[in-house]
Amino acid sequence: MNDATQIVRERATALLADGTVAAVVGWAAGRGDHDRHVFVARTPEEAALLVADQYCGALAAKRVLSLLDEGKIALVARGCESRAVNRFMADRQLKRDQVHVIGWPCPGMLDPATGDALKRCTECQRRNPVLSDEVVGDPVPEPELDRFAELERFEQKTPEERRAFFQDMYESCIRCYACRNACPCCTCRVCFVDQERVGWMGEEFTADQARYYGTVRAFHTGDRCIECGECQRVCPQHLPLMLLMHKQVRDIDGLFGPYPGGGMEPEGPDPLRTYHTDDLEEFM
Amino acid sequence: MIISKDNMGALADAIGATQTVYVPGTERAATRFVAHKKGEPVVLGGANVRMPPKDLLFPATEKMYRWKKHEGQLSLETEAAAHEPFTVLGVRPCDMASVAKLDLVFLTKGFVDEFYQARRDAATFVAVTCVDPDGDCFCEAMGVRLDAAPAADVLLVDRGGAYEAKPQTEKGEAAVAAWAEALGAGADAAAGDAVEAHCTLNPAAAKAEERLRAEDFDNVWHSVADYCLTCGTCTFECPTCYCFDISQDVRADEGARFRCWDSCMFTQYTLMAGNHNPRADRASRVRQRFMHKLRYFADRYGEGLCVGCGRCIRDCPAGVDIAAIIDAVATAPEHELTEAARTVQADEAKKEAAHV
Amino acid sequence: MPIAETAHEAQGQANEEFRPKILAFCCNWCTYAGADLAGLNRMNYPADVKVLRVPCSGRVNPQHVLRALQDGCDGVLVCGCHPGDCHYSTGNYYAKRRMMVFKRLLEFEGLPPERFQIRWISGSEAGKFRDTIVQVTDDIKKLGPMAADEPSQAVVAALRAKEGEL
Repeated sequence: MNDATQIVRERATALLADGTVAAVVGWAAGRGDHDRHVFVARTPEEAALLVADQYCGALAAKRVLSLLDEGKIALVARGCESRAVNRFMADRQLKRDQVHVIGWPCPGMLDPATGDALKRCTECQRRNPVLSDEVVGDPVPEPELDRFAELERFEQKTPEERRAFFQDMYESCIRCYACRNACPCCTCRVCFVDQERVGWMGEEFTADQARYYGTVRAFHTGDRCIECGECQRVCPQHLPLMLLMHKQVRDIDGLFGPYPGGGMEPEGPDPLRTYHTDDLEEFM
Repeated sequence: MIISKDNMGALADAIGATQTVYVPGTERAATRFVAHKKGEPVVLGGANVRMPPKDLLFPATEKMYRWKKHEGQLSLETEAAAHEPFTVLGVRPCDMASVAKLDLVFLTKGFVDEFYQARRDAATFVAVTCVDPDGDCFCEAMGVRLDAAPAADVLLVDRGGAYEAKPQTEKGEAAVAAWAEALGAGADAAAGDAVEAHCTLNPAAAKAEERLRAEDFDNVWHSVADYCLTCGTCTFECPTCYCFDISQDVRADEGARFRCWDSCMFTQYTLMAGNHNPRADRASRVRQRFMHKLRYFADRYGEGLCVGCGRCIRDCPAGVDIAAIIDAVATAPEHELTEAARTVQADEAKKEAAHV
Repeated sequence: MPIAETAHEAQGQANEEFRPKILAFCCNWCTYAGADLAGLNRMNYPADVKVLRVPCSGRVNPQHVLRALQDGCDGVLVCGCHPGDCHYSTGNYYAKRRMMVFKRLLEFEGLPPERFQIRWISGSEAGKFRDTIVQVTDDIKKLGPMAADEPSQAVVAALRAKEGEL
């Protein structure tokens, strides 16, 4: 058992035993050696099942929102989860006193199948929690990386190539909505795709409908995206969804910036929910 | 008839001369059955395709009929029609079992789905015995044999370097006869013994089904709902999930009705007029999915709906594992009977008392 | 870029009779009044543009733009008051930021920039309204219908060949 698992279990047990929190959100092991899934521990016995190692690929934060009725919730939070907490607070989904953040400086996660670093971790700009009530272990060095490298390579393509690429991508989308369900920015009570009476979306599985869903969802979350990369991790078709997010984040930074990316601060306003009278003018 | 594994491409070419033949390949970011192109190699072994063959019989989106209003007259035009014959080459026993289950749904109990039937009648299924079950495969626990595919027209038995083609239906007899003619005697190769393989994963499915009839497992459903994303990945990749929704595209005074796959994981699935949703929370949707797979279908058709292909385990982004759930149900400590089970038991006790 | 341009030019020549469908979202307070004035002044402009009056450019949901392009429009124009002149004070400032990012997103996915344009046109700028319509119609005519944007088989094949490598 590694140190982080040990400390997380101890802290979770203590928090549950003294009634500070009603549940602890973390990860537990599945059937296979490296299978991990998000896990909600509600009793000290269940706390002994928590795991915090390099195979905890899933973003656990969003689970907190569905548990708020149960009381105060503790969350084992890496950089991405802590940014998600900021996101929830800025989106008025969560108040700071509803969550107890057990910060966990993230060692970077591995793909259980291949043993390689998870893509979402190789593009992470903030591994240490941006907020916490307590921290498990020592801070880790922040990676020096260019998270837009893939985007810049992609932009070398001609418009026609990009058109072909996205056509292919949207033909591949099976519209399972895993990206939406996993996304910490997607907290609408009723998603636009589910507004049947409004009729934004057609139900047929076509590239056009998938494009409408994919592009609009990307835009809805574009100025709030915490760049956790969870959408791309959960995609059963392994579609490069983060391209659309990185594109918008970099554009926002260039046009209205400097913009550090979503979730770094607990308060808004988000770039597309505000304006400056001296904003760049290109539509005159 | 014995066909060398190297000759699978030639076999596909031969069948492809008269009809479309679908072989395992990669298209739209996933391995699936794709239309064979002449001259391309065909490999039937290795990992099973990620997308099951169900969309060949039951497409994700299917037009049903069109309507038009012209000078007060309404005209209807159905889209159901006889389908061009096609062959699916290299279906695994688990997926073949799933076709048999889809047949039950679409062709029995007094109702025949004409759209499904048109495609089903046009299809020739050539199954191949499975010699590569992986760690998430558990078809044997669900009553599927790796070396048999009763629903297939032809079964290719893996004999090392070659396949033995065994026709199992009239359609299969005709197909194999045609292959022998096309490939010639030279295609015969020395074959070894049939390769035997077994699943390593073996959840206690029978026990789980029995217990699901008698007990509530709300704790199991709630603990799964704690991490299930309720996305549609499992249902769309499942070879036996057959739920669909009927929708229409209306343009002024003409329109088309179509049906498309639906998923019990979505909130919309059970949303009723007036906005009531009997399965609004995640746990109830998770429960529905597993109860349908493991019990409800068995109640109606006498067999479970899961074929143990392992797709939903492999591709679940949240780590939901149906094999682990089956075992969790089978091995859970004895607890309270469900209300329904109690009623049944009380009724039986009453009957027995009256009898005495 | 060169491939796309030649493809479009070829399309443009083959479609001399091509009449584009262009949807123009016009804010009620400025651009719509500008369009009215253009009409009063008997200014000529192509009838390929269908004007849709909205309360404010800030009301135009970017989703409308994408849906219009998918459902048969060959181009979309969004017009509103000049920044600072919004009838509701701030609507067009929000619209500006939104449209700037959304336009770039659509272009990133391969949409030719001319198909989605945004202009600020005041109630007195009848001439600017006419000039904008003429120019946008001209742009779209050169591009041809939306179907002309379909990537060529060669590009698709090349992309498939190096699948896996982004």
